[in-house]
Amino acid sequence: MTMTDRTTAPAPGAPRPYHFPHVTRTTLPNGLRVLVAEHRNAPIAALRTLVKSGADHDTAQLAGLASIAADLLDEGAGSRDAIKLAEDIGLLGATLGTGADWDASYISIDVLSRNISSSVEILADVSYRATLPTDGLERVRSERLMEILQQRDEPAAIAGKRFAGLLYGTGAYGNSIIGTSDSVSRIALDDVRRFYNGHYLPNASSVVMSGDVEASQAIDLAARIFGDWKKSDEPPRPVVSPNAIAESRIYLIDRPQAVQSEIRVGHVGVARSTEDYFAISVMNSILGGVFNSRINLNLRERHGYTYGARSAFAFRRAPGPFVVSAPVRNEVTRESVSEILNELRRIRTGDIEDRELDDTKNYLMGVFPATVQTASDIASRLLDMELYGLPDDYFDRYRENISAIGKDDIARVAQKYIDPDRSLIVIVGNASQVREPLGNLGIPLHEIDIEGNAVTG
Amino acid sequence: MLALDTYELGNGLRVVLNEDHSAPLVAINLWYHVGSKNERRGRTGFAHLFEHMLFSGSEHVGNNEHFRYVQSVGGVLNGTTFFDRTNYFETLPSNYLALGLWLESDRMGYFLPALTQEKLDIQREVVKEERRQRYDNVPYGTAFERLLRLAYDPDYSYHWPTIGSMEDLQAASLDDIREFFATWYRPDNCVLTIVGDFAPDEAKRLIEQYFGDIASGGHFPRFELERKSQATEQRETFQTPVQLPRAYRLYHLPRMGSADWIHGDLLSTVLAGDKASRLERSLVHEKQIAQDVNAYVLPTEATGMLLMQATAKDGVAIEDIERAIDDEVARVIDGGVTEDELTRAKNRAEVEYAHQIENYDSRADLIGMLATYFGDASIVRTWLEPYGATTRDDLRDAAAKFLVPENRVTSLFVPSSSGG
Repeated sequence: MTMTDRTTAPAPGAPRPYHFPHVTRTTLPNGLRVLVAEHRNAPIAALRTLVKSGADHDTAQLAGLASIAADLLDEGAGSRDAIKLAEDIGLLGATLGTGADWDASYISIDVLSRNISSSVEILADVSYRATLPTDGLERVRSERLMEILQQRDEPAAIAGKRFAGLLYGTGAYGNSIIGTSDSVSRIALDDVRRFYNGHYLPNASSVVMSGDVEASQAIDLAARIFGDWKKSDEPPRPVVSPNAIAESRIYLIDRPQAVQSEIRVGHVGVARSTEDYFAISVMNSILGGVFNSRINLNLRERHGYTYGARSAFAFRRAPGPFVVSAPVRNEVTRESVSEILNELRRIRTGDIEDRELDDTKNYLMGVFPATVQTASDIASRLLDMELYGLPDDYFDRYRENISAIGKDDIARVAQKYIDPDRSLIVIVGNASQVREPLGNLGIPLHEIDIEGNAVTG
Repeated sequence: MLALDTYELGNGLRVVLNEDHSAPLVAINLWYHVGSKNERRGRTGFAHLFEHMLFSGSEHVGNNEHFRYVQSVGGVLNGTTFFDRTNYFETLPSNYLALGLWLESDRMGYFLPALTQEKLDIQREVVKEERRQRYDNVPYGTAFERLLRLAYDPDYSYHWPTIGSMEDLQAASLDDIREFFATWYRPDNCVLTIVGDFAPDEAKRLIEQYFGDIASGGHFPRFELERKSQATEQRETFQTPVQLPRAYRLYHLPRMGSADWIHGDLLSTVLAGDKASRLERSLVHEKQIAQDVNAYVLPTEATGMLLMQATAKDGVAIEDIERAIDDEVARVIDGGVTEDELTRAKNRAEVEYAHQIENYDSRADLIGMLATYFGDASIVRTWLEPYGATTRDDLRDAAAKFLVPENRVTSLFVPSSSGG
C-alpha cells in the first residue's frame, strides 16, 4: 500500500446533479391551491394545510387568539370528538399537529402512505369542520395559562417576549404569540369562531402533499375532498408598525437565581419579499448564521463565553426582527455585549476575506439537498413558496442568485439593514452581578420587570 | 433500500455500507463505543468534553477547520455523546466522500499531535456554558441528573449524566484527555457507516486508504454492566424555583432491544403517546389536573429505563398527580390494554422507524447503533418484527413486572416558597 498523503484535503469528484422534486399544482374552483411533490424515500406522506393568517392578526386585547384557535382544532372536527379524533389518527398510523406562528396557521399530518385517503379526509375536517367546543376552549385556555406561568421561569422565553414587545409595542409582531394571562382569560368562544370562520378560507389557503404519493391521484383526492370548502372575502393584511429606536438602549430584567445572562441585541429587519434577500442571507451567514460565523467563533471558540451565539433575520411577510442571541455566564455579560456590537460594526465596514465569502456562498449553495431529504422537509419548502409567494423556479435559480453576491453587496446590505447604534439590547440575568459592568458600556440602561414595566428604586 | 455490505478492516474497524442513489449525498457516521458509562466517579463529563475536543483539529486539520471543510462544501455535521457511545457524523454532497473520510480518519489516527492546553481551556469553558444553559439555568434542568442519582449506585456509571459535574470538568487535565483518547479512540472500537450515493468499489478503496493504517490498541478497561437490583422505591422531594410541581419517575427495564424493553416502549405509547392515551386522557383531558404527561424509553445499552413525567396544574397537589398515575397504571395491570391501543402503539413505532429510514443521516445513525450494541447491522431490516409480534398479554405482563413501586425511583420538583 502506498503512503496516503494526509497533508492536503482530497479533491472532490465530479458533482452529481440535484433536482428538487417536480411539483404538480392546481387551483380548485373555491380558490384552494393544491401542490403535490412525489418523493419516495420511505412509506410516509406529509399532508399540510397552510392558512395565511396567524398571530399577526391578534390585537393586544386578544393576544393569543390565533394560536388558541389552532390549539382548538384537534378538540373535535367533523363527527369526531377530541378522543375519537386522536384514536382514529393513531389507528391510521398518523400524527396530527396544529399551530400558528406570526404569519400563518398550520395543520400537519404525517401518515403511513397506505392510509392517505382517510387522512386527507381528517385534514379537511380539521381545516374547515372543526367543532370548536366550549369545553375544549376551557381546556385549552387552562393549559395556556399554565404555559404562560411556566415561561416566567424560562430566561430565553422572557428575553424573546420583552425584545418583541419593546420593538413592536402592542401592535402586530409585538404581542406574544401565546398571549398574556389577561388576554387569554378574555378570549371567548365567539372570538375563536370569528377568527376560524373569517380566516380559515380556501382562497387564503394551500394544501400540500408530499412523499410517497402519486401526483394525479393526490390532486384528484384533494379536489374531491376539499371541493366543498366555502370561499369568502379574504381579511385585509394587518399593518406592522415598529417603534423607532433613536439610540441604543439596554433593558435589564432581573432574574436573581440566574447563572447565565440571556442576551438579545437587534432591531427591526426586513420583509421576506425584499430584493436583497440573497445578499442578506450571505451577509448574515458570515456574521452569525452558521457555526463557523464570526459571532460564534468570537464568543464561543475564541473566548469560551457561551455554548452558542447566533444572529438571524426573521424574514416574515412584514419586516420581522434582526436579532443576535447568546446565553453567556454572568461574569462576561458586558464583554459579550461589547463583542457583539463590535461584530455588528465590523460587518458594516465591508472588510470581508475572500475565503469567508467563498466558504459561505458554497455552503448556502451546496447544503440545499441535505435539507430536503424527507417528505416533511419538502412540504415545508412548498409551504414557504406559498406563504411568501416565491416564483415556481425559485429552487432552480437559488444557486445562481447566491453565486452572484459579491463583497460590495455584503457591505451594502450590512450598512442598510444592521445598525449597532440604534439597537435594542435586552438582558435577562442576575442584576446584582451584571448591572454595574453593563453601566460601563456607555449605553443608557433601564431596568424593567418580566412584564416590561419600569422598575423604580 | 436496506441492502447492506458489512466487513472489517485488518485493524478491526467495522464498516457498513448502504448504497442508495436517490439523492446526491453521502452520510458518513462513526459510532465510537465509549460514553459517560466509561467514566469513573470523580472524573465525570469526560466523554462529552472529549467530543468537543475532537472538533478542535488534528495533525493535518487546523482548529475549527473540521467545521469549515464540511460547511464550505455544503455539508452538515455534528457529534453527540450519551451513556454508551459517542457519534460523529457529516452529510456531504456525494462527490466529497473522500473529504469526509480524510477528516474522520485524521482525528481517529492523528488527534494527539494537535492537542494543546489552550484548546482544552476554551472547550472546557464552552462545556461549562452548555451545562449552565441546559441544566442549571432552566427550570427542571437537573431532573434527569437527580433521577439517575436515585436510580443507580454511586459506582455504577449511569449514576451521573453525560454532561458531568462542574468540579470534574474543572479538574480535567491534558493528560486525562490523552489517556482517554489512547484508550477508546481506535479503529477496533468504532463502526463506520456510510449511506447514500457512492460507488462501492471506490468507497472501499478510500476507506482502506484513509483508515487502513491506523493502529488498534490493547485491551479495553472493563466496566460493570450489571445493575444491582433495587429493593424498594427510592424517592425525594426537591424544592426549587419552579412555577408548577412536576413528578419525575424512572422505571428500570432490561437493556435496549430486549423483548421487555420493546414492550416497555409500546407501553409508554399506550400510557402517554397521544391525547387518547391512558395518562393523557385521564389526567390532562378529563380530570384536567395535569398540564402535561410524558413517557418514553431511552436507547441505553447496559440497562434500560422508562421515564415518565407529569406536571401538576397550579393549585393541584403533586400527591394527587401521583395517585392518578398509579390508578391508571393499575388499570393496565388489572385489565390489560385493548386491541386498538396495541395497534396504535405499533403504528407509532412503525412511523418512527419510517422517519428514521427516510433520511440518510438518521438511517446511518440507526445502523451504527445496531452494529455497535448488537454486533449486527442487519437488524435494521428486522427491527419492527418484535414490535409486530407483541400481544396484549405481553403488555399486561410487562406492566405487572416493571411498572411497580419497588422498581422505580421518583423525584418530585415542587415550588420553593421564594420561587416564581
